[in-house]
Amino acid sequence: MNKKQQFDKLLSGELHSIVLFKPILMHFAARFNKTTYGKLASDYKVLVESNIRCMEYFDLDTVSLISDPYRETSAFGARIEFIPEGVPKCLNIVIQNEDDAKKLAIPDIYHCERTRDRISGAGHFQKLLKGTVPVGGWIEGPLAEACDLAGVSEMLINLMCDPDYSNLIMDKCMIVAREFAKAQINEGCDYIGIGDAICSQIDADTYDLYVKDRHKELVDHIHSLGAKAKLHICGNINHLLPSIGCLNLDIIDLDWQVEIQEARKILGNNVVIKGNINPVLIQETSTQHLESLANELVQQMHGQKFILSGGCEIGVYTPIANLMKLADISRKTKTN
Amino acid sequence: MNEIVEKLTICIEFGKINQKSPFPPSMRGEVGADELTKQALEAGINPAEILEHGLIPGMNAVGLKFSQGKVFVPEMLMAAKAMSTALVHLKPYFQSGEVKRKGTFIIGTVFGDLHDIGKNLVAMTVEGAGWEVIDLGVDVKSETFLDTLGKYPNSAVGISALLTTTMANMESVVKNLKEKHPLTKILVGGAPLNAAFCNKIGADFYSRDPQGAVAYLNNLQNC
Repeated sequence: MNKKQQFDKLLSGELHSIVLFKPILMHFAARFNKTTYGKLASDYKVLVESNIRCMEYFDLDTVSLISDPYRETSAFGARIEFIPEGVPKCLNIVIQNEDDAKKLAIPDIYHCERTRDRISGAGHFQKLLKGTVPVGGWIEGPLAEACDLAGVSEMLINLMCDPDYSNLIMDKCMIVAREFAKAQINEGCDYIGIGDAICSQIDADTYDLYVKDRHKELVDHIHSLGAKAKLHICGNINHLLPSIGCLNLDIIDLDWQVEIQEARKILGNNVVIKGNINPVLIQETSTQHLESLANELVQQMHGQKFILSGGCEIGVYTPIANLMKLADISRKTKTN
Repeated sequence: MNEIVEKLTICIEFGKINQKSPFPPSMRGEVGADELTKQALEAGINPAEILEHGLIPGMNAVGLKFSQGKVFVPEMLMAAKAMSTALVHLKPYFQSGEVKRKGTFIIGTVFGDLHDIGKNLVAMTVEGAGWEVIDLGVDVKSETFLDTLGKYPNSAVGISALLTTTMANMESVVKNLKEKHPLTKILVGGAPLNAAFCNKIGADFYSRDPQGAVAYLNNLQNC
């Protein structure tokens, strides 16, 4: 059974006894591949190569096109600066006022270099892996993208004061999100991650009012195209779990602040839970301590649909031995 | 206590900026922090009393609810906006010395990190607690903190980071600041941090939320 078949079986509920392993790797993957984050974010070949090197070394169960939040923002017209050892920098706020929002044109994702680069990455993964390893695409969720375009504080204030303006921006983000997901699936992505980090910072009513239906629309859209859907929200989302439980997700990333067993009770047994060791601990603690934490987590999640991972991105300075220990723990469940 | 000042506290707590503001929906059409501060000054209420008994309790109340997970970032931003609107009217009294700040707090996001939401929340809450805040923005290097400390020598310093990759940069900033200003109190905060990391890099206090920073700073002032 190859990794793709294994992944499909986990999602369909046919495999309960194994724990897959897939941490979020961006800066770490670049450094592991002896290149820079800037190159990984700006060149799909470097991203794909870095992911595959990590997959082979750490026996990861999927690969991913995640890189940074500014692919779609760039397509909308933002200028992006690539930093060798840092997250790409967005140099301008695209939407300063309602007039900007009304005039904002929907970009052609095949025309913009940054979105095209990710689409090419999907095809390149498939060319190299030949369908044997699940490939994850990535899109920005509507609120995260709206914040990237209009500024975080400004957009969050808009949510409180100006629903029409907020909806206008997010509707435009949704058009691009749908198209971008479709393009990546057409190039061979097996699942699409929806990243909407900022949602942990809003209350459940605001999430339900502005975001929940949009997330559901994206999940349904991804399903209609034959792929699986994953949601990633950094931080504490305990208060959003009842709403998220209605999205019909295939995979949910849970950050370390979320109590994982409580989350399972709320979300039900169908969704794959992925998480949720504190990435700072993965980076900072001893291998022995990490082993004990991870074993405890794996025991807790025994018999459930579960992928072992950090709660969020693995830190660039994480010791290789620590990541390898997590890989070993996952591997053990596959050989038993 | 004066009715205007009491209403002002409510406006700050619930983020009611002015009469035109549609937020919060339950106070739509009512006057907000802007009009009430003007009214209070016109009624001859001492500006220091407006700050101490009107604005600061409002920010404390919303800050506490934020710490308890009862309100979230947008509500905090609205409260801070209401506070800023009120402070515009008090600015001349700060400048004349009629109203005294509790102290000066220099804050910035550490170099390499471009995130500002957490830093902004702390800055707004500390300002709302009666401190002068010098906000250095994001991607702030040691030299900028040092230059600013040179201009405001008795200040406390706050350093923020959102990423596991950039929190490591805090260590050199803290070291540089402590070398030249060993008595300066340094607060650190941000999603990936904890008290152990704070101790490891030689900072004085880790706060998981803005209210914790305010409590620490106010305590310093009382020492």
